[in-house]
Amino acid sequence: MKTLVVAERKGSELRRVTLELAAKARELGEATIVEIAGERYSPMPFVSALAKKVESEKPDLVLLGATLNGRDLGARLAARLGRAYAADVTGLRAEGNAVEVDKPMYAGKVRAKLRVDLPAVVSVRPGALTLKGAADAPPQVENIEADTSAEKLTFVKLEGTATAAKRVSLSDARVIVSGGRGLKGPENWHLVEELADALGGAVGASRAVTDAGWRPNEEQVGQTGKTVTPDLYIALGISGAIQHLAGMTSSKVIVAVNKDPDADIFKIADYGVVADVFEFVPAFTEAVKKARAS
Amino acid sequence: MKILIPLKQVPDSTVRVKVAPDGKSVATEGITWSISPYDEYAIEMALERKDADPSTVVAVVAVGPARSRDALRQALAMGCDEASLVIADAAAPLAVARALAKVVEEAKPDLVLCGKQASDDDQGFVGPALAELLGWPHVATITKVAPTDGGVELWREVEGGHEVWKAPLPALATVHKSEKEPRYPSLPGIMKAKKKEIPERPISALGVDGSGPTWTVLSMEPPPTRGGGKILKDGDAKQIAEQLATALRDEAKVL
Ligand SMILES: Cc1cc2nc3c(=O)[nH]c(=O)nc-3n(C[C@H](O)[C@H](O)[C@H](O)COP(=O)(O)OP(=O)(O)OC[C@H]3O[C@@H](n4cnc5c(N)ncnc54)[C@H](O)[C@@H]3O)c2cc1C
Ligand SMILES: Nc1ncnc2c1ncn2[C@@H]1O[C@H](COP(=O)(O)O)[C@@H](O)[C@H]1O
Repeated sequence: MKTLVVAERKGSELRRVTLELAAKARELGEATIVEIAGERYSPMPFVSALAKKVESEKPDLVLLGATLNGRDLGARLAARLGRAYAADVTGLRAEGNAVEVDKPMYAGKVRAKLRVDLPAVVSVRPGALTLKGAADAPPQVENIEADTSAEKLTFVKLEGTATAAKRVSLSDARVIVSGGRGLKGPENWHLVEELADALGGAVGASRAVTDAGWRPNEEQVGQTGKTVTPDLYIALGISGAIQHLAGMTSSKVIVAVNKDPDADIFKIADYGVVADVFEFVPAFTEAVKKARAS
Repeated sequence: MKILIPLKQVPDSTVRVKVAPDGKSVATEGITWSISPYDEYAIEMALERKDADPSTVVAVVAVGPARSRDALRQALAMGCDEASLVIADAAAPLAVARALAKVVEEAKPDLVLCGKQASDDDQGFVGPALAELLGWPHVATITKVAPTDGGVELWREVEGGHEVWKAPLPALATVHKSEKEPRYPSLPGIMKAKKKEIPERPISALGVDGSGPTWTVLSMEPPPTRGGGKILKDGDAKQIAEQLATALRDEAKVL
């Protein structure tokens, strides 16, 4: 099978998901990795450049990371080419003249196995495909230029949120510490942040928290926020509403801290602590530092 | 300004979705249906524009089975001005986009707002696909729209902040969130919505058949159940904290 992987970079480094896709593409057969060079992502110039590449190389499969931009690019590309599109899949296998993919649907409440006939465009959830480490040599990346003649938008500016810059992003994080309404207010977020820093992780939140404006929207986990699959997810003062669970139940290990022993979050937690976050979290942060040091 | 919102009716977010006995679809018997959550945000965003400028016209359209009418009625009750239904029991995603493109060509909105993804297929395809078919620019996953000279400014949430883009009209955006929570229908809104006509026609009347590239469902399963977790409770906060840290390091091996 001939596969074209669309590479993405964060800063100067290829994103981990690009390495995951490159390894998968090599396993499936012939692989080409392309990176679209442009000042910043914009759908029309990127689709135009990529569609030309696909028309000349005729890959059976185009793979993208199911990132913010990858999902958008994949959708418009599939429409332009009239190819089938499956977004945010968590597994992929060759099956004759088709690929079989695993796709979470209904906000993660259902896992579907789908047969997608080739040629197709598929975006794959970051972290879903495993890297075998040293065997996966860094891929050869070919550059193509974004087609700026196709642009109809004008970039105005970037408005930064100060908090986000210093930590790993939620979608890449192997550890996530999320806070809920149980934290009582934004002034207590240092508890969440200190624990996240001790673990080298990212900070998340429930929708009650982002709706109240205690934290930026981009930190929201759940059905209408981010779907995350870290190795470790720690929920502090979060009740475990079905819409929150939709975004995090696929995490490898879940820890819940809540003062209500009947909170729904305990039903899906691997480790539960019935405690007041204000008392427990500082003690736990210290214990984590100690455990990691020894 | 005229804003058109294509909306999809999906199982309500509180529904515990179950796989049907055929193992390939979800059980729909007796479940509550709602407007897909991101489409609700799109409606709220459009109605906030209408609050600011009462000359704004907000229209909604759904492509789907007859029950989708309830979702359209809900949108009217929230304050939308017009609704129409395109009947299609099973249409491929690209066919849905094609039908919507026809509706857009007729209705001539300045701005189309889609949800960033529908909460049943979790695809995020129809918005960008519709923009592609129309040859319009689009901006994905926006959180804010504001009119500006000769177009609109659109705020797009990215890692670490917001990009602001200017789009000439007509344009399309997919919505991630509105500034306020989606409003509840008011009583007068509900009464008014009851009296409004919701014209309907089959997808074939738009010259579109339901076919297009898609997938075949091989099977559906509930996600693996979790449980069998343990509650740590022996000792004071410090002792439990230490037990937990040790368990995460030595047992779960995630530290
Ligand atoms: C369409 C739709 C989409 C939604 N999408 C999302 C989504 O993406 N993400 C999301 O999170 N929610 C989402 N929600 C909202 C969801 O239903 C819940 O309202 C929300 O998750 C609740 O957040 P919470 O757990 O922080 O707050 P609460 O439910 O208020 O829970 C707070 C918890 O903190 C505990 N607590 C209080 N004080 C302490 C203390 N001192 N120490 C320890 N524990 C304490 C309480 O026992 C309680 O369990 C959505 C809802 C709808 C309708
Ligand atoms: N059948 C439909 N009728 C009207 N709008 C739709 C339909 N399907 C999808 N959409 C719109 O496209 C968005 C993305 O849907 P999807 O590609 O299914 O994730 C939705 O949030 C709606 O705004």
